[in-house]
Amino acid sequence: MKKIPVTVLTGFLGSGKTTLLNRILTENHGKRIAVIENEFGEIGIDQALVINSDEEVFEMNNGCICCTVRGDLIRILGNLMKRRDKFDHILVETTGMADPGPVAQTFFVDDDLRDLFSLDGIVTLVDAKHVQLHLEDSNECKEQIAFADVLVLNKTDLVTDAELDALERRVTSMNTMAKVLRAHNANVPIPAVLDVGGFDLDRAVATKPTFLEPEYPFEWAGTFEVQEGDYELELGDGPDPTMDLVSLYLDEGMQAHDRPAAERALRVWSEPAQEVTTEAPSVERGAGQAAALQLRASGTKRFGLRAPRAGRIGLYAQHLASEFALRVLRGGTEVTPLTEHEFVAGHSHDDDVTSVGIHLEGAVDEDRLNRWVSELLREKGTDIFRMKGIISIKGNEKRFVFQGVHMLFDGREDRPWGDTPRASDLVFIGKNLDRDALTKGFERCRA
Amino acid sequence: MPGVTAMEPACAKTELVPKWRIDVSDYVAAADISRDGTMCVLGVGNGQVVGVDLATGQQRFALHAHGGGVLGTSISPDCERFVTCGQEPSARIWSRSGELLRELPGGGASWVEHAAWAPAGRRVATAAGKKVRVWTEDGEPLVETEPLESTVSALAWRADGSGLAAACYGGVYILPFVSGAKARQLAWKGSLISLAWSPDAKIIACGSQDSSVHFWRLASGRDSQMSGYRSKPKALAFDRESKLLATAGDATVTVWDFRGKGPEGTRPIQLQSHRGVCTRLAFSPRKGVLASGSQDTSVLLWEPRRSTKPSRFAFLEDEITALQWHPADGGVLAADASGNAAYWETSG
Repeated sequence: MKKIPVTVLTGFLGSGKTTLLNRILTENHGKRIAVIENEFGEIGIDQALVINSDEEVFEMNNGCICCTVRGDLIRILGNLMKRRDKFDHILVETTGMADPGPVAQTFFVDDDLRDLFSLDGIVTLVDAKHVQLHLEDSNECKEQIAFADVLVLNKTDLVTDAELDALERRVTSMNTMAKVLRAHNANVPIPAVLDVGGFDLDRAVATKPTFLEPEYPFEWAGTFEVQEGDYELELGDGPDPTMDLVSLYLDEGMQAHDRPAAERALRVWSEPAQEVTTEAPSVERGAGQAAALQLRASGTKRFGLRAPRAGRIGLYAQHLASEFALRVLRGGTEVTPLTEHEFVAGHSHDDDVTSVGIHLEGAVDEDRLNRWVSELLREKGTDIFRMKGIISIKGNEKRFVFQGVHMLFDGREDRPWGDTPRASDLVFIGKNLDRDALTKGFERCRA
Repeated sequence: MPGVTAMEPACAKTELVPKWRIDVSDYVAAADISRDGTMCVLGVGNGQVVGVDLATGQQRFALHAHGGGVLGTSISPDCERFVTCGQEPSARIWSRSGELLRELPGGGASWVEHAAWAPAGRRVATAAGKKVRVWTEDGEPLVETEPLESTVSALAWRADGSGLAAACYGGVYILPFVSGAKARQLAWKGSLISLAWSPDAKIIACGSQDSSVHFWRLASGRDSQMSGYRSKPKALAFDRESKLLATAGDATVTVWDFRGKGPEGTRPIQLQSHRGVCTRLAFSPRKGVLASGSQDTSVLLWEPRRSTKPSRFAFLEDEITALQWHPADGGVLAADASGNAAYWETSG
């Protein structure tokens, strides 16, 4: 029997949940939809079955796994199945302040629900105008963004494009896995929210092969045209004591932030960097070595940058150029970059909710991986909201795909690796994630 | 399921021959047999309530009882009326011939998920959301509780009708119907999903969402927990002696024996013939024959003290969703998720 998909709609009061719900229900899609909504819902649609529900969240302890679930959902969905012609789709609207974790976990832990329903996706509506306020003072708001498979930035008509871009950068740094849609009046294409496959291992991997795209360790890239000769790199005081920098020649027409160029910079980055202090200014040019600029001294610091030939170069900086007032000078005159690009940094400075993506070439040892994951979930499970991964396990010809919500984990073998180069990709979304510890922990699982 | 049919006779000796079999066309969520053994009432997923003559299988009435699926049916002990509830905020009292006598408002938007007629004392109880309400047999309100800790998940009357137990997340609440007695709470930090009150009124047992069975001995208030279930025990039944408690969370029926110092520290009787999750359990009121119904469409009869093999078997076509004994052990009624209902005579 085909499982009935369930979509969870979250978002603060005023973010447009009810508008989206009404749009879904009035759109002529031929689906029989049941809506489970909280007491504040205002749905005026007759053709849908609307069930009011008090959110009843309780903690469940099953052996060593502890999780919170929505008891009311177990009961109501169980009762809804007591008919022969079933519904085609279920929508669960949470209250504005709800943490979506319990809803998601309910579909992992309850046997009946797991057999009959499949969680299709968590759709979070974000009020583009007011979300900044909520992001400052509300954990729930951050959790709703972190849990989402689809983020709808709604009410875009009330903000400028620049504000919207900044918001998108911010929410993407918190949750790299979510698809971001922009809308006013919640006017998103219905299939984009009802047919997401966010918890379907096949779809999560098949339809979004780039969801595990490695994050770059640099936050800023600039493209410069240079003549042969000496340049200076000027930095003011900034928040960090060191900054890694890579410079390389770009192919014709290429910009520093273009994917192939960024990938080249990444490879240089992964080699040990050479320490460079103001006393010994000599930044190696070309595709050589990263420079670790030492910035402890106060005041303006200058480093030499020699271009052995004319051409176009890309500069990649660990931190945003604006944070250090970074400038490139030639003979005391500023050289303005052709392009500047700020990358979405996984390690955002201002949000405690972030995404951490890890890419590891080769294969990992299954036992070591199991030990690491179980210890990680035991200790950090409450802080890890969601995770997904494709793992290359030594001795296994097939890919292992998995996903998890808090301490709950669902994984299985997938298709064979075949000719594709074997590598593992993991993404964690959570709060207070220690990127270095996670990366090192996973690297220790290497076979 | 041909595979299952082929395997069952190997361990169960006799296939029951149905006295009658009918199709009410949708999921049967509830069934009750009148105490005089003349009729049964089936609550159906399309909102209908169907009255059937137990001797012949003839349909006496089919009512459009509720806007959503029916969730509960219960016949009064004098067999003159019955109560039904379903996926809407009101329950209804009907005469035995199917005329609407009274509508019982739930007092909110919540569905009335449970309705139970007291075995004695001319009262009927309903539960909607976090509140339990008790009415006279004519539908006059008697009691409305304060909201319990969470939504009521199960209701059961004391065998003599002098008390009502309601389970929810947080424990069991007992409302007394004897003058001077106080309401009582059996607290338990867990989500209770099923409830059975032993016929001798001494034990209340509940299945819990965390895959355990929790029970209380009411005289001492002492509680115990039976864990080790592979999934949540939805089906619970006491035998008429109040000595055996049958429970099921998966395909195995686990029977705990309360004789002596048990069941604490004892090994339960394990009945393993179902091929799918056991969904319904009922002991016959006289001889203590256990009937179990399963997702695998089978109904099995057991005498757990004598054998761990079923003695008789029968099949419907879908998951068994209702199971009820004749009050004098005359037979057993079962219904399934596709709307099939059958009655098998078991005496003789």
